[in-house]
Amino acid sequence: MSVASDSSPVHSSSSDDLAAFLETELDSDSDSDSSSESFPIEAAEVAVVDVSSNHRLKRQKLEHPEDETENVASVTFSEEISEASSSKSPCEHPGTFGNMCFVCGQKVEVTGVSFGYIHKGFKLQQDEVTRLRDIDMKALQSQRKLCLVLDLDHTLLNTTVLRDLRPEEEYLKSHTHSLQDVSGGDIFMLEFMHMMTKLRPFVHSFLKEASKMFVLYIYTMGDRPYARQMAKLLDPKGEYFGERIISRDDGTVKHQKSLDVVLGQEKAVLILDDTENAWPGHRDNLIVIERYHFFASSCKQFDHRFQSLSQLKSDESEPEGVLSAVLKVLKQTHSLFFQDGGEDLSSRDVRSLLKQVRKEILEGCKVVFSRVFPTKTQAEDHPLWRVAEGLGATCATEVDASVTHVVAMDVGTEKVRWAIREKKFVVHRGWIDAANYLWKKQPEEKFGLEQLKKQGADDLTVEK
Amino acid sequence: MFFHIVLERNMQLHPRFFGQNLRENLVSNLVKDVEGTNSGRHGFVLAVTGIESIGKGLIRDGTCFVTFPVKYRCVVSKPFKGEVLEAVVTKVMQHGFFAEAGPLQLFVSNHEMEDCMEYQAGDMPNYTSSDGSVRIQKECEVLLKITAVSVVASEIFCLGSIKGEFLGLLNVRA
Repeated sequence: MSVASDSSPVHSSSSDDLAAFLETELDSDSDSDSSSESFPIEAAEVAVVDVSSNHRLKRQKLEHPEDETENVASVTFSEEISEASSSKSPCEHPGTFGNMCFVCGQKVEVTGVSFGYIHKGFKLQQDEVTRLRDIDMKALQSQRKLCLVLDLDHTLLNTTVLRDLRPEEEYLKSHTHSLQDVSGGDIFMLEFMHMMTKLRPFVHSFLKEASKMFVLYIYTMGDRPYARQMAKLLDPKGEYFGERIISRDDGTVKHQKSLDVVLGQEKAVLILDDTENAWPGHRDNLIVIERYHFFASSCKQFDHRFQSLSQLKSDESEPEGVLSAVLKVLKQTHSLFFQDGGEDLSSRDVRSLLKQVRKEILEGCKVVFSRVFPTKTQAEDHPLWRVAEGLGATCATEVDASVTHVVAMDVGTEKVRWAIREKKFVVHRGWIDAANYLWKKQPEEKFGLEQLKKQGADDLTVEK
Repeated sequence: MFFHIVLERNMQLHPRFFGQNLRENLVSNLVKDVEGTNSGRHGFVLAVTGIESIGKGLIRDGTCFVTFPVKYRCVVSKPFKGEVLEAVVTKVMQHGFFAEAGPLQLFVSNHEMEDCMEYQAGDMPNYTSSDGSVRIQKECEVLLKITAVSVVASEIFCLGSIKGEFLGLLNVRA
């Protein structure tokens, strides 16, 4: 078959092309052309283009340049596409693989969000991401599920580098569980990564319960191999997270986390993280959880002076621990979202529901602060005031009969004396912080001012 | 497609390797450096089969390293548009599926499948034909045709198609 002279409208399946130009290649004594390609095959391919354009019976919608630039190869391809289905509209380039649009193959400018955790080199345009989110939302609603993004370090587990283990923690090395069957264990030695990891108590039940109500994502500031290894420990069967493991290599902005790489609508996503500052744009979706300090190196990292759980040879309580409390909140928010109220589900926003759940914690309390805020600042702007209001308490600057609690850091103030006279509760600020972390009003006796003198000023560990 | 070509590379060697084993050291360094890499121009270098020639070494100014121009024969694999090859499906998504053929990563968009193929989401997402006879999921072997090749920073990405005669699912990997 001589390619150059064949002008009859042959049914050209494109499998002929490869054979065709190999033939030309082998027949002709072609010299390498002066273009940058050392393989002359590219030149032969160009010859094929001219022939195949003769074969076209219909004129296609796309223009094809007659000049022999590199684009010709991909344009021929798009010709074939439109030839096969000339009723399709021009490609919108929803995303790229490498630098080609993965639908039509044209080389396009690479913009859009990179979804490296799905596959390397895969990017999606913002419109496409929005479209996918809408589809996802519908699918989730039919399954009655929302999205939950989970942090790893200090939230679900605590990892230490083996080098940083203290002498009093050496006993842990003999207590590690086997890596072959991770379902029962919670402390693992990862020699090949020089790390030891302790899973937070209750984490297996937490994941099991949460996966019934939420589609789970991992989003960590660790690198991809670390993230995948931890996912294997938490989820050996791959049933909770699947491929939804986002590491710092997949984030768009350094040192910050964002929901732009999560394929779920923002009003249906909840985030569980120990660091509030990691999520600058999504504070409303965030449930801040108390940090899990099992290893001494973890305490040291945050400049805490108290002993870690491994040094105290104890651990968080399973049924009354932090994860268990958070699970209750998640269940509550989930049931509020999906309760039958006649309202269209697409107008519900999980962020406002979370606020609603939060406001129930200190409902009915009226709080006055004494010597907690520096005098120069505006009291209403202080974060603690905001937290207390977020928890549902009413805050005031002056005492009156309706006040129920006085938050103070010092015994001798006038407000405290008034409170003792009037038999109102006197607590230190840890009472508000504890309510914030445990999502439950704490007994005031545990946060009296005498307690304050015993503990250090920066010790805000919650009583079990 | 595979080629057996001659490539050239400048290998640097530290004088401590000079002596009886100079050539062996040079060759082992070359093999370590080059096998498994890919360049956009030649594709993936799979194996070095032999050394054509080693030129005279030149001492680099300022350092003690010596540079030898080495010509070597190797097997390379470069994908071409229009090429048909077998690939294993690695991930299935609503836009299409990812597959790999050795070191080469490919993507087949759902527009490049027969119209009867529908995406099924779930635990094991897959593409199923309307009559249920063909199901493409992870770990399946498919015969596909490469429709576009692009090189980005010496990474090779390809788009493929299974729309066409004799293309598509081959058999399920046991």
